[in-house]
Amino acid sequence: MGESVKKITLALLTVLLSIGLVACSDGEEDAGAASDSGSSNELSGEVTMWTASLSGEPFDSYFADLEQQFEKIHPNLDVIIEDIPQGEIEQKVLTSLTTDDVPDLVNLAPRYMVSIAAQGGLLELDDLVSEGTKSSFLEGPFESGYFDDHLYALPWYLTTTVSWYNDNHFEQANVTKPPQSTKEIYDTAKTITEATGNPSYYQIINEGDTVIQKMITLANGEPIVEEGKTVLADNEAIVEFFTLTQQMYEEGIMPQENAEGSFSTAQELYMAGNLSLLESGVTFLGPIESGAPETYEVSKAGQPLNDPNAPVNVAVMNFSIPAKTKNPDAAVALAEYVTNAENQLEFAKVAGTVLPSTKESLEAVYFTDPGDSPKALGMLEASKTLERSKVLIPPLENSAELREIVKMAFVKNLQGEVTSEEALKEIAEKWDTSFEETGIAPTF
Amino acid sequence: MDSTKWRKLLVYSLMIFITVITVGPFLYTLFIALKSSGQGIYDGILPTDPTFTNFVYAFNQTDFLQYLWNTVIVTAIAVPFNLLFSSMAGYALARIDFKGRSIVLTIIISTMTVPFQLYMAPLFQSAGELGLRNTHVGLTILQISTAFGIYFMRQAFLNVPKDLEESAYLDGANRFQVWFNVAIPLVKPTLISLAIYTFTFTWGDYLWPLINTTESSMYTLSIGLAQMSQNFNGGNLKLISAASILTTIPSLLIFIWLQKYFISGQTDGALKG
Repeated sequence: MGESVKKITLALLTVLLSIGLVACSDGEEDAGAASDSGSSNELSGEVTMWTASLSGEPFDSYFADLEQQFEKIHPNLDVIIEDIPQGEIEQKVLTSLTTDDVPDLVNLAPRYMVSIAAQGGLLELDDLVSEGTKSSFLEGPFESGYFDDHLYALPWYLTTTVSWYNDNHFEQANVTKPPQSTKEIYDTAKTITEATGNPSYYQIINEGDTVIQKMITLANGEPIVEEGKTVLADNEAIVEFFTLTQQMYEEGIMPQENAEGSFSTAQELYMAGNLSLLESGVTFLGPIESGAPETYEVSKAGQPLNDPNAPVNVAVMNFSIPAKTKNPDAAVALAEYVTNAENQLEFAKVAGTVLPSTKESLEAVYFTDPGDSPKALGMLEASKTLERSKVLIPPLENSAELREIVKMAFVKNLQGEVTSEEALKEIAEKWDTSFEETGIAPTF
Repeated sequence: MDSTKWRKLLVYSLMIFITVITVGPFLYTLFIALKSSGQGIYDGILPTDPTFTNFVYAFNQTDFLQYLWNTVIVTAIAVPFNLLFSSMAGYALARIDFKGRSIVLTIIISTMTVPFQLYMAPLFQSAGELGLRNTHVGLTILQISTAFGIYFMRQAFLNVPKDLEESAYLDGANRFQVWFNVAIPLVKPTLISLAIYTFTFTWGDYLWPLINTTESSMYTLSIGLAQMSQNFNGGNLKLISAASILTTIPSLLIFIWLQKYFISGQTDGALKG
């Protein structure tokens, strides 16, 4: 028996060792395959690009074509494109930066870009990107790539705010057009709720960012923060927004689930027919088409639910280059290639719910005459909104804290734990403290 | 109705209630996965025209077969090695009276309280230096010898009657033979429980496999599922439900197969401190 025990143990250890050796040899091969672009003008070696949550079809085919075309232009270059779940991409980039095993180009949302750039993890692109490339982008989205007066990212695809409504519910309540002010939202939503018996309006909160954007839109050009001092209490439109959302929540015009406030909760409620009206991006309609085909068919898009001239937010997805890239020239060339007008237009067509950030692509017929499907109408409204869109929240070191403060205060206000004045006072006090502690004095 | 019948009714009602709240979400997900493209996910609970199309699409949407293969290999490595190392270490901590035993045990247990995020970066560095990046072994390093497993096995070995082991020693067996031939068979239910735990943790492990892979060909099922559910426009809930079911089925089958051991193993481990 003793012999057999020894044999089993030896066999197990041998298997482990063998697997370990195979693993080691794989690693060596990988390391050997990578090389710098070198001093030659022709790009060579490997360049790895990470996209964020863009896996599966139709994206796999799009990126395979893109890779092939870029390698055709640069035959000595090996392009590797991998997709990373969006929620973990910041953590993955930061972890990779602790070693030399870093990607060369990463698709990041501006808030992740700021967080990584603030830790010295991204390459400054000011002098690496040509002036022609810089001027090809829309101004607002391009500005989102700046942090601390340096360019850290090139803009890729965009989404802007539009309003979505269930036209059946509107007809049932004899409402003919979406509202254009907070008071009109209250009146319209109340009428629809009385007609359908269900809550009708939802304010997406997410991490608090959408509420901040809404406040800036409502301020309509007036800053809500002046040189590090928060000025919310005097703004009647913002006070009215907090007061009426609290009232709508209390009266059941807004659903109880709104306290959770996520984008996905809004989608679920809308699909279930328990929601009639909200503001969001065109991407909102993505799962509605497959999850609730009947609701999709009666969905209509309009301009955001506020003053037609007020600024609205544009959400940007960027491309940044990690500071430890081994192939910066190839990374810049690939970033310029992926974000050029032609490829952005193609990507927008493939994705179906996003806008390009290059001026030239927006002139394409695809955007000027997109068809009459609900998604196409959303795209049309979004491209109209783009004229007055900009990145409303500047990239700040304390962005996460500002968002959290607003989220907490808005939810407390919604649930009636504080008055609207108290909620705004709390935001102002905590924001001011945060600006002081961070040592910044922004105006936005 | 007498009191016995009332009690029975109450017990059955409670059991039905617990069944509904535990099995209900799984069934609901299954029903969503079976709904056809023409039926909305909130149009009634049951699928009116059941179809497996979503399962086929989910299978094709991600590189499901590759991810499944990776997950199977990783789990097949993690389970036997965790059983081997945890039972050896657990036995030593339960039976060998060496200097500093209680300190070693305390240190092992205290590692359970350290959040993974705290040592993720150094672990990533070490894995790279050891050539374990993008390898199946690299994906298992958190599971092949766990503090929980060592503690769990130690508790089980404490319940083994010492007399049996002493008899084996009198018959000329050495410590290794006593561990393998006497102690291990007596803690079989605990071993099976640990196997199920390790299987479940490894099968569903997400963050470490994601961090330690830079090639999507090494992704596991949980990463594939995250890719699908974190799709930039919110994803297709029918496909996500189908993929969730496909991902859960192996764990479910293993648990059903080994559940009687699992329950007794859990009780054994809890008897003695």
